[in-house]
Amino acid sequence: MSATPAALLSLHGVSKRYATGTLAVDQVSLSIAAGQVHAIVGENGAGKSTVMKMLYGLEQPSAGEIRLEGQPVRWRTPREAIAAGMGLVPQHVTLVPSFSVADNVVLGQEPRRGPLLDARAAAEQVAETARRFHLPLDPRTPVSRLSLGEQQAVGLLKALHQGARILMLDEPTAVLAPQQAAALMQALRRYADSGLAVILITHRIAEIREVSDRFTVLRGGRVAGGAATRALSDAQIAALVTGHATAPQRTRASPAPSPRAPVLRVRGLSARDPGGGQTLEDLTLEIAGGEILGVAGVEGNGQSLLADVIAGLTRPGRGQVCVDGVPLSGQGDAGIRAARAAGVAALPEDRLHDGVAPDMSIIENVIANRHAAPPLVRRGLPGWFGALDLARAARETAQLLRDFGVVAASPEAPIRSLSGGNMQKVVLAREIALGPRLLIASQPTRGVDIGACQALHERLRALRDGGAAVLLISADLDELLALSDRIAVMSQGRLVGHFAAAQADARQLGLYMTGLRRDPQARAALDAPFTAVTPAVTAVTPSTLDEDLLP
Amino acid sequence: MTDAWTLAAAGLAVALLRAATPILFAALGALVSDLAGCVNVALEGLMLIAAFFGVMGAVQAAELWPALPVWGHALIGGGAALLAALALALLLAVFHLEFGADLIVAGIAINLLAAGLTVFLMASWVGDKGSTAALVSPALPSLRLPGLAGWPALDLLLNGEGGRGHPLPLLLAPLAVAAVWLLLQRTPWGRWLRASGENPAAALAAGIAVKRMQYLALLASGVLAGLGGVYLSMGYVTLFQADMSAGRGFLALAAVFLGGRALAGTTAAALLFGASAVLATQLGALAWRPQLPQMLPPAVTLIAMALAGARRARRQGNRAPEISQRL
Amino acid sequence: MSAAPPASRTSRRASLMTLIARAGARIGTLPLSLAAALLAGFGLTALVSDEPLRAWLALLTGPLPELHLGAQGWEARRLVLFGAAIEDAITLALLGLAIALPLRARQFTLGADGQMFLGALAAVATSLALAALPAAIVLPASFLAAMAVGGAWGLLPGWMKLRHGASEIVTSLMLNLIAVQLFRLILSEWMSDPGAGFIATPLLPPAASLGVLIPSTHVSAMLLLVPLLAWAAQAMLDRTSAGYALRAVGQAPDFARRMGLPVARTVMLSTALGGMVAGLAGLHVSHALLGRLPVDLPAGLGYEGLVVALLARNEPRAIPMAALLYAYLRAGGQAMERSTDVPREMVLVIQALIILFVVAERLWPRLAEGLARRRSRRGALPAETVEPAPGAVA
Repeated sequence: MSATPAALLSLHGVSKRYATGTLAVDQVSLSIAAGQVHAIVGENGAGKSTVMKMLYGLEQPSAGEIRLEGQPVRWRTPREAIAAGMGLVPQHVTLVPSFSVADNVVLGQEPRRGPLLDARAAAEQVAETARRFHLPLDPRTPVSRLSLGEQQAVGLLKALHQGARILMLDEPTAVLAPQQAAALMQALRRYADSGLAVILITHRIAEIREVSDRFTVLRGGRVAGGAATRALSDAQIAALVTGHATAPQRTRASPAPSPRAPVLRVRGLSARDPGGGQTLEDLTLEIAGGEILGVAGVEGNGQSLLADVIAGLTRPGRGQVCVDGVPLSGQGDAGIRAARAAGVAALPEDRLHDGVAPDMSIIENVIANRHAAPPLVRRGLPGWFGALDLARAARETAQLLRDFGVVAASPEAPIRSLSGGNMQKVVLAREIALGPRLLIASQPTRGVDIGACQALHERLRALRDGGAAVLLISADLDELLALSDRIAVMSQGRLVGHFAAAQADARQLGLYMTGLRRDPQARAALDAPFTAVTPAVTAVTPSTLDEDLLP
Repeated sequence: MTDAWTLAAAGLAVALLRAATPILFAALGALVSDLAGCVNVALEGLMLIAAFFGVMGAVQAAELWPALPVWGHALIGGGAALLAALALALLLAVFHLEFGADLIVAGIAINLLAAGLTVFLMASWVGDKGSTAALVSPALPSLRLPGLAGWPALDLLLNGEGGRGHPLPLLLAPLAVAAVWLLLQRTPWGRWLRASGENPAAALAAGIAVKRMQYLALLASGVLAGLGGVYLSMGYVTLFQADMSAGRGFLALAAVFLGGRALAGTTAAALLFGASAVLATQLGALAWRPQLPQMLPPAVTLIAMALAGARRARRQGNRAPEISQRL
Repeated sequence: MSAAPPASRTSRRASLMTLIARAGARIGTLPLSLAAALLAGFGLTALVSDEPLRAWLALLTGPLPELHLGAQGWEARRLVLFGAAIEDAITLALLGLAIALPLRARQFTLGADGQMFLGALAAVATSLALAALPAAIVLPASFLAAMAVGGAWGLLPGWMKLRHGASEIVTSLMLNLIAVQLFRLILSEWMSDPGAGFIATPLLPPAASLGVLIPSTHVSAMLLLVPLLAWAAQAMLDRTSAGYALRAVGQAPDFARRMGLPVARTVMLSTALGGMVAGLAGLHVSHALLGRLPVDLPAGLGYEGLVVALLARNEPRAIPMAALLYAYLRAGGQAMERSTDVPREMVLVIQALIILFVVAERLWPRLAEGLARRRSRRGALPAETVEPAPGAVA
């Protein structure tokens, strides 16, 4: 504990135990000073969100104390926390879609004239705050028309407008491109320099390095270490965060894809997502059997729409999707069935919502794509009232769990009892059970612990080596670079870059992801040329790792 | 013969207002609670209980304080009715918000509770299971505007048939619409209510007590439905009959949907339903079967929902339909 | 090993509590809810009646038949009320199934009332039209008619949900209102018996009779149909691919769609099946209970099917028992009314309270928590405050 300026906000031995018995936070102590940016770092499930909820009055500590300027405080509602000067920009910004920017910013503390609303004062005050903090937003725009990045700016504006002295941001750069993230980091630095205390919750080491003065690592709900940022090197910080030294993985001894007909061919695809604002414009890509095509892009630039179109959920406006030369058609239920019949399998982005039936047993989840045909249907009309061979299903599931190394209480247990990593293994097992020709993997290792991560990556590689095509959509550039044979970059629904993975790096990809550069001829066809790579100004040298820097 | 036509039109308008008033009150209640994210299917029961306790409250007041004028008894009865509706709405709110009961199932339970309780108490206190016709129960005071003798059509419209004026609740109805508009569009609480229904997470993060908003919304819908019930048993008709609400609570819910969950549309839909009730009686006078026009409100609602769905589907184009949403 | 006596006492108490808790989890809180509702009803009765205890006794034991050891062995007397309970149970079981099946697919359709009315009408029309033919033709034809019409009416909310995204709650409610009016219209216009003293269909022909299983009651062969249907429905849900699809669509609809399950077909199947069973309930009313259809057949029984489905937790195999319990209460109400001054509508109040207590999922856990907290204040348990799990709204 080095000498720090007087703590503005501090936690002392704070714990949080839920009624279900889960101990989300265990004896956490840390202190935040004004004028500083303090990063709270940890993997998913380490307790960061719970700490933040307690600092905002959304939850109360089961034990321990929170102190503001030395005085113990206990905020029972967000209102109390806001009044004390806490400001929160949550990870998924929560705004009311039908309200305007100004309405959302003043929500809960609207200026009034008597008992009535004073809409004009609200617009004026919000415009003033936006000016003061350099956030270019028009107070009258309805929020539903803003992009994800702009909506997040509204969240930031709201916290600042409420007079936050301590600003908390939860994974703010998840929806931003590298250059937009850099701009946000600069803004945070400015706010800190003007006297605010900024708490940045993140799991990205680059952000810690770039903007924070101190950082604290949480693991498994406990404080695993912390330091002043300038005192440590990147590798030391990485070691502290992950708990062990990891070597960057770039092992890809993949056979070169043979110049045969592509398994997946998408030509001139245009589509529009009816629910959100995503679009696809004139997309062309091909994947051959035995290769992995990675798709890089900032979230919300069309990747999930692309996945949905290929899986048959959404019908394209123009263009075609062909699997093994056969075009996919139909929409709604029929479109999905056509895709599956053609050999398309998918790991959905939202695992808990789209990938599993959480309350059904593991067996019932595993048979989901095979429940309507033999061998699991014994007699009767398959697909209608055919009788299921439950014993066989149970046997096959047990075997599958063994093969994939999934530890479960029993195959009859509800699948939500599994951890994220184990659940994803089951989902993957199910999807490859029928020997697909194409696997669409969307954010496959999100919320998955490191051990399961590696197992999943191996399975994906094995699938590729077996001759299938894999479309890998991921926000994790390291994962993309480690697994892909080729990488396509999407921005605003278009293909803007096409690289051989061996020649790409995070900086390059970032330039194209934000649209700072674009290759107007980019097509991800098998015979298409690669986008020229701009040389880096300074070479990136891997730093040595110190094994014994663990707390 | 314009006088005869305007007179007839005014007469129809009066009939429409008389029929639409209870539905309108209940629909306002349904709208307020729906905007806060709580769909209230218990409006039937709330109307029923208010109708019953209005009559019983007034009769009891007449026994306890005979010196008071008749309209005093009626107002006390009205107060009792609103209290009863509030209590029942509170029961619904507590079971849903505190104990996690499914709102729709709990709403149906409240309807059953009100149906059973009213007949039970009526049989115990009045000795009759059908109605309180044996009792003499007062009507709520009416207000009449004097000096309209020169304009017979206007007099008919504003003072009802026989120039006795309209009962209080009917006059309160347009005021209620205005009040709800004011609340929803021009006050912070209206904003908070709408935010609680549209995105409770955003409301919570903004420091709004969402649960409290939902409590208030359900209680408000209780009061509004109660006003509708009070009108039924203490307006033009001055007794309570078993199952008096006769499906109006469900029609109110339909009005909210027909009106696109907005105030103007809901009001229009409620008036439309009132009109079809009037149509039913008019056709009945012509010896038509009453069932056909009585089928109109639900049929119109169905068609409107189908059209709205078709429009939404065309806009959304190629998406597979959403089946996981409830209401 | 800690030797402090207070610690061992609390640990024994704790293990006893876990034992009770585990047993409780298996039975569920249903008995608690029933007891609470009955207690509350009793309290209300005591306020209003002069003889609440006698009334309650009549409620709980009234429907039971009396068994006498007479000259020719055991005889059962006072069968009418007992029979009424069983007849009621049959109708309610069918209505409960009619709501439970769509509910498993997440279709909250309340349309059992309308389906029942129209199914009954179709069955009566068929029976009257085929009056001259033998029972072997009339009965199956009537059954088919009831199921076809009920099924078609039940299909509508499902279809509108899929095609137009219309909430099935509102559409089924509207369809109920339309169905009842349609029923009254068709009956009074084309099917009314001029000879009867009131507006009703003619009496059903003997070929359409379902027989009587218990003398001096209306309990018919339908009694055997109910457990059969319940078993078949449960088997379908648990062991066929259509049943699997139905459950998957009900529990995780977006997942089911992405898996290529036939969502549209399944949703419509669930509501149509529900309608068919409700149509059978209508046939039961017209053919077994009443022998004809009056124009003023009271509406509203369909909603009580919801209570039965709730009590059975939407499991078809538990529906006959739940229906019996519910029907027993109703018959008990009649007995209570007959022998005391308490009107039978008290049973409606109790039923409503049962629903409320059964679906109040957090009621009993919160009570248990409150008791635990009070005990902890008197010492022994750790001072950590336990709060509901994250994700609980508001």
